[in-house]
Amino acid sequence: MFGLFVSRRLFFRYRDLAPQLVPLDYTNNPDVRLPYQLIGSMPELKDNPFRQRIAEVFSEDGEGNMSLNDFLDMFSVLSEMAPRDIKAYYAFKIYDFNNDDFICKSDLEKTLNKLTRNELSEDEVRMVCEKVLDEADLDNDGRLSLDDFQHMILRAPEFLRYNHSLYENHTVELCIGCLCFAF
Amino acid sequence: MSSVSEPLVRGGSGRTAPKRHKSVRKNSRRLYSSYQNNQGSSDDEDKEDERVESDDPEEMFQNIQHQKEIIANIRTRPWPMRRKLKVLKQAREIVLKYEGRLTRTRGYQTAGADLLKKLSRLLYNIVVLFIPWEVRIKKIESHFGSGVASYFIFLRWLFGINIVLTIMTGAFIVLPEGYLQYSVLFYGYYGSVRKIGSAGYRLPLAYFLVGMAVFAYSFIILLRKMAKNSRLSLASASDENFTFCWRVFCAWDYLIGNPEAAESKGAAIVNNIREAICEEQEKKKDTSLAVLISLRILANILVLLSLAGSIYIIYFVVDRSQKLEQEKPELTLWEKNEVSVVVSLITMIAPSAFELVSQLEMYHPRTSLRFQLARVLVLYLGNLYSLIIALLDKVNIMSSAISVSSSNWTEPSSFLATISQPEVMSTAVPRNISTLATDATMLDPVTTIRGSVAVSLSNQTSVFEKNKQDQCWETYVGQEMLKLSIIDMIFTVASILLIDFIRGLVVRYLSDCCCWDLESKFPEYGEFKIAENVLHLIYNQGMIWMGAFFSPCLPAFNVMKLIGLMYLRSWAVLTCNVPHQQVFRASRSNNFYLAMLLFMLFLCMLPTIFAIVRYRPSQHCGPFSGQEKIYDIISETVEKDFPLWFGKVMSYVTSPIVVLPALLLLFMLIYYLQSIARSLKFTNNQLRLQLQTERTDDKKKVFQLAAARLQAPEPPAEVSTEQQDSDNTSHEASIQTPSPRRNGSVTNFQSPVSRGNSIRTIAQSASRSELSRAGTSRSPSVAMLPKHRLEHRKTIHALHPVERIITAPSFSGRRGHTARYVIVNEHEPRKHLLRSATRLPRHYVMEEPAEILELYPRNFKRYTARAIHHQPHLHRAHLSQQNLSEEEEEEDQGPSTRRKMPLGKTLRPKSLSDLHQPAHFYIGDRGESHCSRAKVPYEAPEEEEEAWEELQRKAPQAKVRGAEQSVRSRRGVSSSGRCSHHVEVKAKSRQKLEAPLTESDSASVASSSDQQNSSVDQYIQVIHNKERFVKAAARHGKLPKKKSKTTFDPNVTEVNDLVCSNV
Repeated sequence: MFGLFVSRRLFFRYRDLAPQLVPLDYTNNPDVRLPYQLIGSMPELKDNPFRQRIAEVFSEDGEGNMSLNDFLDMFSVLSEMAPRDIKAYYAFKIYDFNNDDFICKSDLEKTLNKLTRNELSEDEVRMVCEKVLDEADLDNDGRLSLDDFQHMILRAPEFLRYNHSLYENHTVELCIGCLCFAF
Repeated sequence: MSSVSEPLVRGGSGRTAPKRHKSVRKNSRRLYSSYQNNQGSSDDEDKEDERVESDDPEEMFQNIQHQKEIIANIRTRPWPMRRKLKVLKQAREIVLKYEGRLTRTRGYQTAGADLLKKLSRLLYNIVVLFIPWEVRIKKIESHFGSGVASYFIFLRWLFGINIVLTIMTGAFIVLPEGYLQYSVLFYGYYGSVRKIGSAGYRLPLAYFLVGMAVFAYSFIILLRKMAKNSRLSLASASDENFTFCWRVFCAWDYLIGNPEAAESKGAAIVNNIREAICEEQEKKKDTSLAVLISLRILANILVLLSLAGSIYIIYFVVDRSQKLEQEKPELTLWEKNEVSVVVSLITMIAPSAFELVSQLEMYHPRTSLRFQLARVLVLYLGNLYSLIIALLDKVNIMSSAISVSSSNWTEPSSFLATISQPEVMSTAVPRNISTLATDATMLDPVTTIRGSVAVSLSNQTSVFEKNKQDQCWETYVGQEMLKLSIIDMIFTVASILLIDFIRGLVVRYLSDCCCWDLESKFPEYGEFKIAENVLHLIYNQGMIWMGAFFSPCLPAFNVMKLIGLMYLRSWAVLTCNVPHQQVFRASRSNNFYLAMLLFMLFLCMLPTIFAIVRYRPSQHCGPFSGQEKIYDIISETVEKDFPLWFGKVMSYVTSPIVVLPALLLLFMLIYYLQSIARSLKFTNNQLRLQLQTERTDDKKKVFQLAAARLQAPEPPAEVSTEQQDSDNTSHEASIQTPSPRRNGSVTNFQSPVSRGNSIRTIAQSASRSELSRAGTSRSPSVAMLPKHRLEHRKTIHALHPVERIITAPSFSGRRGHTARYVIVNEHEPRKHLLRSATRLPRHYVMEEPAEILELYPRNFKRYTARAIHHQPHLHRAHLSQQNLSEEEEEEDQGPSTRRKMPLGKTLRPKSLSDLHQPAHFYIGDRGESHCSRAKVPYEAPEEEEEAWEELQRKAPQAKVRGAEQSVRSRRGVSSSGRCSHHVEVKAKSRQKLEAPLTESDSASVASSSDQQNSSVDQYIQVIHNKERFVKAAARHGKLPKKKSKTTFDPNVTEVNDLVCSNV
């Protein structure tokens, strides 16, 4: 859970993105949203191929414009201390580009292209997509449901490692220092 | 969470608290589903509201605890922050509101526990800050990914071990001895005085014990770490195959925070995916090319040759150094360090050579990496072993020389004999000639031959002088190990500087003035080879373990070395290395490294133990001087410093009488534990398999069924025909179909019931033996069939239309339950029952005919004995439904309405305990309406009233006839409707009776599992064949598709019931 310290720091982090927009006084819960351009330029996100998706998933309007709550939300999920289930859930949402609650072929292709910066040929992409569906699609409906995805992702060795090893000790600093969306 | 975030959101709804938090509770149960439908049912909420209001402190406490739980777990909900805050606030309010009502102490207790938790957490965080090099490792990790970081983590872990070893040797050996000196490093320095100082510190004992403790500690810490790792890895089902998925979805390292790293990561991912594709394609094509095979053979020969060569070289060098020592008075620096330099050179060069060789082989990268690791490990081991064997050889010579000389001195005559042969003396002469010469008894002979001795030895005196030091073989071994370690360090540093740093510099700055691209073509930047570097660490640690006994300060030295290495390596990695292209999966290899380390530890311990046991300690240096064997120190201490009884006990304990049984016991224990582990593994696999099939089959079947239901609406032909002409002939036809079997008759009972087809499949799938047994007991009842033709006709007419109607609405509750029950029971006792109650549909789908048949024989005996009594009451519940419907139609005809009352009295179960009795009454029922009233007589117990008795009178006839007629009836020989009248009447009355009972019965049947377990008879081949299933479903095609899951069961249950009644 975010401690007082973290929340405050995150708040300032948020405010620093656009000091002119974000008021210091949040007692009246002003409706302030930072545009995606600002969010996506954060050092934690700017090299991430999925930054836009991340912003979209966590923003309430689905466009990537984030209120402070969304911002906190994002960091709490991406922090190393967030439980695995919740990470898997949001990972699913991130990879589900068309928001239809299934990862279908087009989603997979998008994911692959973002991940590899379009370096794979079309054939390769197609083959990988097929293999992925082949492996993880348990109900043979040609797309991955949340269940399928969780079943697969929660068994990933990286996933386990990050959730058990010493890394989980780094609470405060690293939550802010880098996005630890640990898969 | 939100001492801060609370003020941030004031606007959130605060007043709806009590209601809201209820839905939260439900949400907390089901993480994801609740996300969609967070508005739980309101009645539930109201109930809980009451609960909150109640004054029972226990409940209140529970509620508050629950709220606190919500507060604590809110982080794990995938809700937007706004909602979380809202929920949190409400939960808080409730806690604050009601907590005051509780006795304070309870609150304090929990609060105290919380505080403690927080404190420990804080402490933990502080401790984390002091973990050495954490920041450095993090930095490396963020640049190079977790693989490279794993090397440094491993290094740090080794560092920790060495620190402990250093403390052990330092505290118990080095410091007690007092001041530091160069030689404090080695065995020879330490005195053999039994007690030091006024406190009486027993240095020799401490030396021995610490030497052993070093090994023991290393073993324990290694094994513990490995156990922990394997626990973690077991948690993940490692067998599951999601290569591509993981490479796609888990590929991105979200820790990466700088563009360069992001770029290289992207490239690595592309590589990785391509590699997987290649692998996939490689699986398809077979590569059995003669050329390739011969190349591989060649490569292996090369590797073996180089291994043999390296071992020979080491042996040769050690041998040479020995000779040099004997021949030359002064050794040059090179000559002194020749051995270790050669060993280090080999350890540096050979791996690269192996890598070149492995390119010949053209293995898959991962395979070749494994080969490479194995070869390097063998090389390192070979090096260490050849070195230590060569050293021990030398030790052997040294100690044998001593023993020869000492034995010679005790026997002057033989000494004289040897003296006469100077060449023998040359090996045997110790430096103590002069001291021994003072011995009075020796004096004379020695002096007489002194001249000749002096002459023969004059050229070797210098050797003796030097040998004074070397005499101490333990020191010698320790020195060699330390030398090796130092030189290894020098070489490592040199290689880092030369191969990585200079190369990096050259590549970066000369690439402009060169004709090809240095950065991407030939020299490139050095790669950080995780596996080989880790292996080198292991090798290094092996050296330490090998030498630790002879050189107590070796661990301390190693600590420094590791510190240096840490900084140097991390610097080199960050400045001039690129990550390895084929990253060795760190997560998987963790235990692999450790296993290698353990292997190393074991192999490095062996020579030490061997030396301790085999060789005599040096006589004139070290803590064990003057003893026959090093381990004598233990027995000596026990003898001198412990009470007498302890020595006795020890002698008993160490005698074969105790040791052998203990060993045996140990073996047995190991065997036992191993077999347990094996079986656990087996069950584990089974479970996993089951889970998998359940997941896949389940889903697939459900989909298939859904698909089948879509096509279903047209009813199976047989059924319809049966329905249409329900006279005798049609009946016979249905009877005949299964007739080839002996108990084909069994199916007859059902056939009229619009389920002809399903029944047939059952009969077919039932096993032979079962059938034959069943046939014997059942044939009589079958024989009755023809009698009821008349009635039959009626029922059939009545039934079909009605049933259709019934199925849809009435399936919902009860029937489903009972059916579930039947199936569960077949399988196994209660637990299953409970579980199945929650997920019935799945259960059905999973059922396989084979399983059921398997179960059957077990209970067969009982079955035959009691089936008649017990079965029916089971079915009664389901069938009664049908009866009910029939009843409506037949009521007017029924002349026996009066029966209703008395029967009702007797039949109604008063309690659960009553239940096994009531069973009897329903027996008649199983023919229920469809056909088999005839059966009633057998089953009807004495308590029944006259009407039943009447029937019973007929029973014998039926029986007799049954035997003969069973055959006939099957052939379609219609029998007279003689007893039909009676039966019919009874049937009707029964049906009426049934009606009031059904509810309570079915409920009780479902709930009282005991009774069912005791009378296992309802075993019944409830065989689910998919087709049947589908058909059954198809028949009810009218039902809304959406219900598919729930509606299946009822259908199936019906089928089951029918089958059951047969049995």
